[in-house]
Amino acid sequence: MASVARARPRPAWPIVAGQELRDLWLGGRGLPLSLAFSALLSILSYLVATNRSLNFLEQHESVNLTLQVAIAVGAMLTLLAAADALSGERERGTLETLLLTPVSRLELTIGKLLGALTLWVAALLITMPYIWFLGRGIGIVGDALAVGALVGSLLAVFLASLGLLVSVFAGSNRVSLSLSLLVLLALFAPTQFPAGAQQGWAGELLQRLNPLTAGEHYVGKIVVDRHPWSDDVSWLASPLVAAVVFGLAALVAGARFIRLDGGPPG
Amino acid sequence: MRRVLVLAAVAAIAFPAPVAAAVSVAVDRTTITRAIGHTFSFRSTITNHGSAPAASLVAHLNVVSLHGGTYVDPEDWSSHRTRYLAPIPGGGSTTIEWRMQAVNSGDFGVYVAVLPQSGAPQPPVTSPTVRVEVAKRRTLDSGGILPLALGMPLALGLLMLGLRLSRRQADGPGA
Amino acid sequence: MTVVANGVRKEYGPVVAVEDLTFTARPGEILGVLGPNGAGKTTAIRVLTTILAPTRGTFSVAGVPHARPAEIRRRIGVLPESAGYPGRQTGDEYLRYHARLYGRNRTEAAEATRALLGEVGLHERRRSLISTYSRGMRQRLGIARALINDPQVVFLDEPTLGLDPAGQREVLGLVGRIANERGATVLLSTHLLAEVEEACSRVLILNRGRVAAEGTVAEIARRAAAPRSARLRVPPEWMEEALRALAGAPEVATAARADGQPGSIAVRLLEGHESLNGGIGALATAGVPLLAFELEGARLNDAFLAMTGTR
Repeated sequence: MASVARARPRPAWPIVAGQELRDLWLGGRGLPLSLAFSALLSILSYLVATNRSLNFLEQHESVNLTLQVAIAVGAMLTLLAAADALSGERERGTLETLLLTPVSRLELTIGKLLGALTLWVAALLITMPYIWFLGRGIGIVGDALAVGALVGSLLAVFLASLGLLVSVFAGSNRVSLSLSLLVLLALFAPTQFPAGAQQGWAGELLQRLNPLTAGEHYVGKIVVDRHPWSDDVSWLASPLVAAVVFGLAALVAGARFIRLDGGPPG
Repeated sequence: MRRVLVLAAVAAIAFPAPVAAAVSVAVDRTTITRAIGHTFSFRSTITNHGSAPAASLVAHLNVVSLHGGTYVDPEDWSSHRTRYLAPIPGGGSTTIEWRMQAVNSGDFGVYVAVLPQSGAPQPPVTSPTVRVEVAKRRTLDSGGILPLALGMPLALGLLMLGLRLSRRQADGPGA
Repeated sequence: MTVVANGVRKEYGPVVAVEDLTFTARPGEILGVLGPNGAGKTTAIRVLTTILAPTRGTFSVAGVPHARPAEIRRRIGVLPESAGYPGRQTGDEYLRYHARLYGRNRTEAAEATRALLGEVGLHERRRSLISTYSRGMRQRLGIARALINDPQVVFLDEPTLGLDPAGQREVLGLVGRIANERGATVLLSTHLLAEVEEACSRVLILNRGRVAAEGTVAEIARRAAAPRSARLRVPPEWMEEALRALAGAPEVATAARADGQPGSIAVRLLEGHESLNGGIGALATAGVPLLAFELEGARLNDAFLAMTGTR
């Protein structure tokens, strides 16, 4: 005789997150991406370390450069994983069976977000020995890792949430990934402006409003200029606001608008 | 009497006493020894010896290499090199702490110059030179990077391979 | 009743995919859902399984009204038509994951998975990646997934699609066991009329989003008044003589050469006639040797074609 399934006694988002971890790291893209990431850091740190004319200041800059690259690439990997989270399931035909379970769409979204964020955690762990090696002897390792973890985590949450938000509505994985990368490029674009354009009140405002450039600026102030943490803390406003706003937006959108075929709400 | 006082006040405003005559700058130490990368600090005390308040003064920190061949960018040593002082009452003084980091190795002279923000051009008042000796220290050993640069990707690659093999072994026929 | 639908309607903008869907299903029943492409079968199933919200109407599944979709989902199992499977998971991992999503703890999930994989014949391949499974194996895995929560109602949307005859038979056998052994109600959407005739106790025919017919197979066939027909075989040289004789028989509507073996004749009987006695008598009188004769009953196929206007 068929029996009624028991009421779920515990939250489902850890189960979803756990499966995302397994899918990503056991036979998924997690390890190949981490391998590529560590290869990038290895090349960068080798070039820096073998620079015979490296002076003290350049060593600070080297640590800063390595940290900035790690944060940028690590956050980007998180964005890509999140952008695939729902549109990828949709395209592979596995979303319907997930939506047929009693798991709420909100818990599904939370689990997917946490799964994507593990790529940032892995990137941070991989970065640690490189920063330790490059920064030892000049008393900077602790500060560099701490500020890198702080800024990187805020940016990772922001970008993962952005990717997930796009994934909720994108009809296909191609659209989701393309749109997410486009937004990321737009955020990185101001870093390529001529120095003159980055000066002045307008340039500084643009830098402050952009979470990526603001975070990058703050890291530089701590690692290169050796400012106390409180001196430039206002630069953390936009990364923090972006992480909170987009995080909430992703959760709300996921809870209300995940549909079989994607597309705009309504 | 009142006319004399008024005239004296007008003269003081129109023809302010030279800064050098009223203000002096002292430092709390004249020799500092550090290794490259280390931070240090010293204090400078600006005293107004005059009777009138000394207002609109600027104190500025500078660093020079005492030997040729070393490029010094003072901004690298300290990012707070310019301080705009509150008015110092006649006979009073103000003390500033300067935090710096030794970013070059060698012998350097550090001094503080005080000058007015406005008025006729006047020579600044400078402090005695603080002699800073910074020892060289090579902190980055290029040879040591190879184990890390090669080892980390290798370790991740082996982990990846190991996981793939273990999953393949667990697969049944047709895998 | 485990499934009750009342006036369910689903619109996509100006397009009405399902209109006035009203039917019931009982415990232990296998209800076949038939319809041509675009009839609204998959949309109907998606509405009843809470994937899509109805535009109008009400329904209840396993006693739970449609306003409580999460509760409905706890009580149903579904094999969607276009179900995909994560290629990098093994069958075992996949089922255990879904078991846990339905609230089972790790031990319960492992036990349920082991039992179900054995039931659907995938125990040997439980640790293989799903990407190595054949189409039939994936369908069986999907059925196992649909049963992971011991559902009261099981929705199977085209479960035999793309399978060879042996695979189809295997899946239909499973379907029968679900209803008989578990007592679950099964809604089986399929194009294969022969399997519906064989496996389903009742049939729901959809056409252009509407219910065209509902009832047992025999009821629907009779309701459609599908004309009876017969097939005869005479020696080829007697064909013309046989056709002349049959044309004069009182119960014969039409008699014409048929495809197949030489000398085959297809006969359609007039409405109300259920035998060809007059025709056979006419052949005997004309001296035409009769090599073979078969009287065909009203078929679901005929009813389906008649009701969906695809004849």
